[in-house]
Amino acid sequence: MPSGNAVDEGGRGMTTTEEQLEQAQQFERLKALVDKPYRWIDRKWDAVFWISAAFIVGAACDITKLLFAGDWDFWTDWKDRIWWPILTPFALVIIGSALQYIQWLAWRFPTGMTYTAICLWPLATLGRWLQWGNFVHYPMNFVWPTTMVPAGIFADWVLFKTKSFILTSVIGSAVFAFGWWVSNYVMIAPFLQPAQWMDRILTVADIQGISFIHSQTPEYLRIVEHGTLRSFLGETQYVALVFGATVTVAGYWIGQFIGRMLAIWPIGRFMKKW
Amino acid sequence: MMKRLAAVLLLGLGTGLAFATPASAHGEKSQEAFLRMRTIGWTDVTFSGGHMDPNGDMVIAQGEKFTIKGTAKLMNTWPDSLAKGLPRIGYINVATQGPCVEMLTRTINGVSTPSRIEITKGHYYDFEETLMGRRVGRWHVHPTFAVKGAGTLLGPGQWVRVTPHAFTSSIKLYNGKTINLENYNLVSVWTLQVVGFLLGLIWIFWWTWWGKTAKGNPRRTVTNPAVTLAIPLNDDGVAVGLNTKKDHRVVNIIALATALFLLIGWIWQASAFPVKIPQQVVEYEPPLTSQDQAPTLAAVDARSAKYDYQAKVLRLEVDTKNVSNSPIQLAQFVTSTLTFVNPASGTAPYGQYQDALKASPSGTIQPGQTATLTIDLPGSRFDEEHLLPRGESQLTISGLLVFKDASGQKDSAEMEEPLQPKYIS
Repeated sequence: MPSGNAVDEGGRGMTTTEEQLEQAQQFERLKALVDKPYRWIDRKWDAVFWISAAFIVGAACDITKLLFAGDWDFWTDWKDRIWWPILTPFALVIIGSALQYIQWLAWRFPTGMTYTAICLWPLATLGRWLQWGNFVHYPMNFVWPTTMVPAGIFADWVLFKTKSFILTSVIGSAVFAFGWWVSNYVMIAPFLQPAQWMDRILTVADIQGISFIHSQTPEYLRIVEHGTLRSFLGETQYVALVFGATVTVAGYWIGQFIGRMLAIWPIGRFMKKW
Repeated sequence: MMKRLAAVLLLGLGTGLAFATPASAHGEKSQEAFLRMRTIGWTDVTFSGGHMDPNGDMVIAQGEKFTIKGTAKLMNTWPDSLAKGLPRIGYINVATQGPCVEMLTRTINGVSTPSRIEITKGHYYDFEETLMGRRVGRWHVHPTFAVKGAGTLLGPGQWVRVTPHAFTSSIKLYNGKTINLENYNLVSVWTLQVVGFLLGLIWIFWWTWWGKTAKGNPRRTVTNPAVTLAIPLNDDGVAVGLNTKKDHRVVNIIALATALFLLIGWIWQASAFPVKIPQQVVEYEPPLTSQDQAPTLAAVDARSAKYDYQAKVLRLEVDTKNVSNSPIQLAQFVTSTLTFVNPASGTAPYGQYQDALKASPSGTIQPGQTATLTIDLPGSRFDEEHLLPRGESQLTISGLLVFKDASGQKDSAEMEEPLQPKYIS
């Protein structure tokens, strides 16, 4: 660092001492602002914000999930080891990523992904319970929704530690995809047990899908592992997980685009104009 | 203003509720008539089990079995507009209002068939499905033949009334344990979901409620941009006191607890369910039926299909040559969900989807003889089932003419003829 009467690039002739002084004053002003009491804005507004936004965020994430990975989320017999871990984390990370950007930028909270997750879960579960459980009477053990809460916690943790969206997109998305798989595989595992039914060996999930009638979705519509010559010595699961993590990185940046260009940028334009 | 708005909303809701009727069909009548007639020919479809009430409803208890049997022919008249004219994968199932009934067994051409089959145009598929009453109520149940690339085609249905009774949906696992599909493993699914949710709640409550600023004041949200917009994006706000080192410690603990939770879950599933397999895709080609291999009884050539709108009669004229060595007689005309039986052949119409036809000459056709059969069908049934192709891109009538020889052996011949909406002279 130059010292003495160094001239800055703008040629304003401000000395380093003055810069440091101004920075220190700015720093003190910001420190004071952190705890500044406001007359009209108290913590009730915080609660209003967090609670009212919950429905919009949960719904946005649920719609995105249903759009990209609906059937994999609906039925246990779709929750396979190839397509499910590729499509669902990709779909889930989008809105979480947008919220992560917004909440980090505005409040410096590493909460976007977890907040999205805990908004999504009750809404998705309530919807599944009402629509599939009570109206149509599918057993809930056949139609339970996935959870992204543990994966969301990991992704937020990565953001707080790295303070970087680029690193979070790479490391956080991968951790999100793997965390999502582990947390949901534990739930699907009992339904992957074999049983002999109709003279065949099927999983419990397959039997659920066949015995509980869904008239307009014939079994052949299931997009699940069918087998391929490119099976990587049978380790298709790990290939799917790595690919799923890669696709999740893309989903993360789609979410960043939504957060930056569709949420923050228009607000900034509006604020500048008025 | 608000009162008016509320009144309009209430009126709308009330009107909707007052005039709404329960959904009881599956949209089969909305499919184009010529497509339904040219695709699947349903013959000998029967429902058995429980008992019939005076309204013709089959009455079964929850957990009680009933059976649907019949034959579906994948017709050679299958149109090019569906599945590119080459149906290859099919799935025989039932259509009803969701899981009101539960599938227990299914055989196609005598082979147990849990899921999809490979299909060929012109082949017959004898199906037998054993189902169980599950949800209390009155349900309309149809056998269905879904074809990949085309959609689901429905056969003749039956009202099934399910009455209350204790039941389970038991299956036996390969390890010998018996489970109830209705609630198997539900507790662990919810436990894992709820514990995960609680961890997420702790994370959010820490950042919004429990956590403090560096000066020990409650952490706020909506006023933070005054600070956050003045510091770089890659600054975690610890220096200005917005966040603290304690926050770092707490999130480490929560992340660690989450990882531990997943580890425990993983160990649990690995030890509790050591044998797991991926979802199975069962697909095979059913063997040929006796009908596929039976000698052909008749060669038919449709000459005309005329519809009299006033008398509501559909008249078919078909040149029929007996190509067998036994006298034959027309037993049925089958199209889509409807079956018209020939009373002269010794059978009477039965059930909601059957009616009588009038054939002349009504007697038998001798071996080698060719006769022009005039078949009158009650047009009202076509109207009810929306099977008269009006305003469609192909105005044709298609179906199966089922013949019976002296020994009772049946064979069907397909016919297709442009529909002429004319008065019959």
